[in-house]
Amino acid sequence: MSSATEPIVGRVSSQRAINLLRNNPIFVAIALLVIITSLVEPKFLTAANFDNILRQFGTLIFAALGMTFVIMAGFLDLSIGGIISLVAVVTVTLIDKVGQGPAILIGISVGLLCGLINSALIITSGALSQAESLFITFGMSLVYGAVALMYVQGVTQFLTYSTTDISIFNAINSGGIGFLSVSAVLFLACLAVLYVIERRTYLGRAVVLTGGNKVAARLAGIPITRTIVFIYAVSGVMSAIGAVVLVSRVTLADPTMGTPYTTQAILAVVVGGTALAGGRGSVLWTVVGTLLLILLNNCLNLLGVSSYIQFVLRGVILILAIWLDRVKQDSVSK
Amino acid sequence: MVVTSAPQALLSINDVSKAFPGVRALDQVSLEVFGGVVHGIVGENGAGKSTLMKILSGVYEKDSGEIVFEGHVIDKITPFESMKLGLAIIYQELNLVNTMTVGENIFLGRFSELGGRAGVHSKARTLLQSIGSKVDTYKLVSELSVSDKQMVEIAKALSFDSKLIIMDEPSSSLTADEIQELIQIIHDLKSKGIAIIYITHKLDEIFGFCDVVTVMRDGHVIATRDVHDITRNEMISMMVGRTIENEYPPRPEAVGETILEIKGMNTKKLRDIKLTLRKGEILGLVGLVGSGRTELVRALFGADKVARKSVFLDGKPITVKSPIDAINFSMAMVPEDRKLQGLLLGFSVEQNISLAVLARLTKRGFIDAKEEGAVSDRQIKALNIKTPSGRTKIRTLSGGNQQKAILGRWLEMNPRVLILDEPTKGIDVGAKYEIYLLMKKIVEGGGSIILISSELPEVLHMSNRVNTINDGRINGEFDPSIASADEIMAKAFEFA
Repeated sequence: MSSATEPIVGRVSSQRAINLLRNNPIFVAIALLVIITSLVEPKFLTAANFDNILRQFGTLIFAALGMTFVIMAGFLDLSIGGIISLVAVVTVTLIDKVGQGPAILIGISVGLLCGLINSALIITSGALSQAESLFITFGMSLVYGAVALMYVQGVTQFLTYSTTDISIFNAINSGGIGFLSVSAVLFLACLAVLYVIERRTYLGRAVVLTGGNKVAARLAGIPITRTIVFIYAVSGVMSAIGAVVLVSRVTLADPTMGTPYTTQAILAVVVGGTALAGGRGSVLWTVVGTLLLILLNNCLNLLGVSSYIQFVLRGVILILAIWLDRVKQDSVSK
Repeated sequence: MVVTSAPQALLSINDVSKAFPGVRALDQVSLEVFGGVVHGIVGENGAGKSTLMKILSGVYEKDSGEIVFEGHVIDKITPFESMKLGLAIIYQELNLVNTMTVGENIFLGRFSELGGRAGVHSKARTLLQSIGSKVDTYKLVSELSVSDKQMVEIAKALSFDSKLIIMDEPSSSLTADEIQELIQIIHDLKSKGIAIIYITHKLDEIFGFCDVVTVMRDGHVIATRDVHDITRNEMISMMVGRTIENEYPPRPEAVGETILEIKGMNTKKLRDIKLTLRKGEILGLVGLVGSGRTELVRALFGADKVARKSVFLDGKPITVKSPIDAINFSMAMVPEDRKLQGLLLGFSVEQNISLAVLARLTKRGFIDAKEEGAVSDRQIKALNIKTPSGRTKIRTLSGGNQQKAILGRWLEMNPRVLILDEPTKGIDVGAKYEIYLLMKKIVEGGGSIILISSELPEVLHMSNRVNTINDGRINGEFDPSIASADEIMAKAFEFA
């Protein structure tokens, strides 16, 4: 109140900048991370390291973008790890049988199918709370993971053993369009599409409305069932795209390789600032959240911090993100 | 004159002000409260009643002014300290720990002073008995009815030797019988010399058992009067800041042919419901909470799955399996619980209004943002919704304006059948009147309304026809212009 009456313009604008940073502490965190690491470890600012960061960004960002819609609608998807594993092994084993293009398409269809199965289970069981969706998709994660294991009998499938053309995978891994890598172009395309859906379309609005208040949205004629199908389908497809990118990068498919992505994707979404309870968020925020996680990972590796400690830090960051979200919520409701 | 005979005020509030960003919640408010007096406070939502009480109990800090309680100047205070001083507040949403027992709740945080479990429960029982309550102190609070919970709160207040008890709309969730018990307790407390500040929306309660009334509006105290020196209409005029001739507009009259007919509806709760609704009619549905009145309209609207129902619109059978179906048949429903079922609190006024017509605003999957803004502006203007803009978060609006936004949501689709379940609950007099006028306008435009309300006068004044519902059955039909309130109530309460 009193600051508004002060005539000093400079103070007002710096106040605004402080408020911006206070409301978005994630930018401060990223800046600090970059500054500290580049001071301590000069290797951080090398081109090779940035290439490395962008590659790591790959799989996680696709899964996290899909997860954003699920969380914005007030649900969770714990099955993406299983989906990534399953899609990876299906895609790689099919290359020699149907060719690389069809193999990728079939792989992505498998991701879509998994998402549809998830939503069908949630809708038919009437499990409309976040906790229930968590348990159902956790159960399905075990199923998808087990199917992946059975499908390849637990054996890792090497992309390079393929007898036919794998040029698409090579291109995704190392090719470029202009100055952007193929996977970066893929990422930007997905981001653009999802962002437009989120901001402009009926379906995107239905997602946040469902997350905001399922009961009220339903009573006002918002098709909750269709929305649930949509978010899990998006999550399945985005995870599948992430799986293809992952296979391209590591040139193999392992039936358990997707597992770590589930928690990391949720972490990226929540750290980005999308409300865990739903109703508020954006795929753009998730990009920032993912960036923070990858940077942190990269910095800690460069600084030689043990991976055990890294797990601790990841946990702390998640809790911090949820706490900050609470604080924000409380200040809004006052 | 009660006021002048007591020389020393128990509580005096002098020129207290409090501002929140953008609002002056209290502007130099002064008030005196005396021992043994029931002091009613009325005012529309946003008048500053709650802010004042929260300052007294230490939830908020005042910006300026002085508060003197029993000769002590109260400056900064925590809620627990204010209780210890003898100033207790009983909030609308009761502040009890559901998972603990009654006894533990009364002496929360003070077990050791009382010598443990046995001491806590015996003291608690004495306190409860002193206000005539027979609640088992070993029961979990979650198992109690709302009125018993209120007893526990009052006992808790007494356990601090409170000299002043503030009650914030205590009767809003009580049944008629429970309210009578509450009034009895208030009389007892009063005879012990305890002062009571009674905040309410119900003017009947002010004249029923309050001694003094303070009217607040827009952060100011408009007047403090002895209840014998003020009339109902004077009080309403002070609250809304203008003269309101009546609490209700004249009843709309013209009623046409039957448009909606329920020929049979059965659920776990409802037994063979038969109901007709005519064009341009307001049909009142009177019943107790739990009588099946809400189940009926929810089933009609497709909100709940119903095994067997036979509904006819314009003489043709229709199938309504979900709210979407109902909306497609031009039906609309303002649900009972505004916060849980109606509002999307985290969203803007505009997004709350556009909700029901969102499909219409969508072209090839994309929402027409311009059109959405136009819809919202139109309803904000038409319904006189007080909001800085359509982009304002709806949670910052008063209850009355929130309710008007929900009405606007449905009016935009011009519904043929509008279901209103408790449309004026917790809404101040001024906004109520506006909602009544809107109802009138809707039926005059050829729409029909099914009105459910716990406030009988509202149903009687607004409806063309009243059905009573009791234990899942429709058991009576009345013409409210002829039938008396007693007759209708007797029917609604028949077996209860």
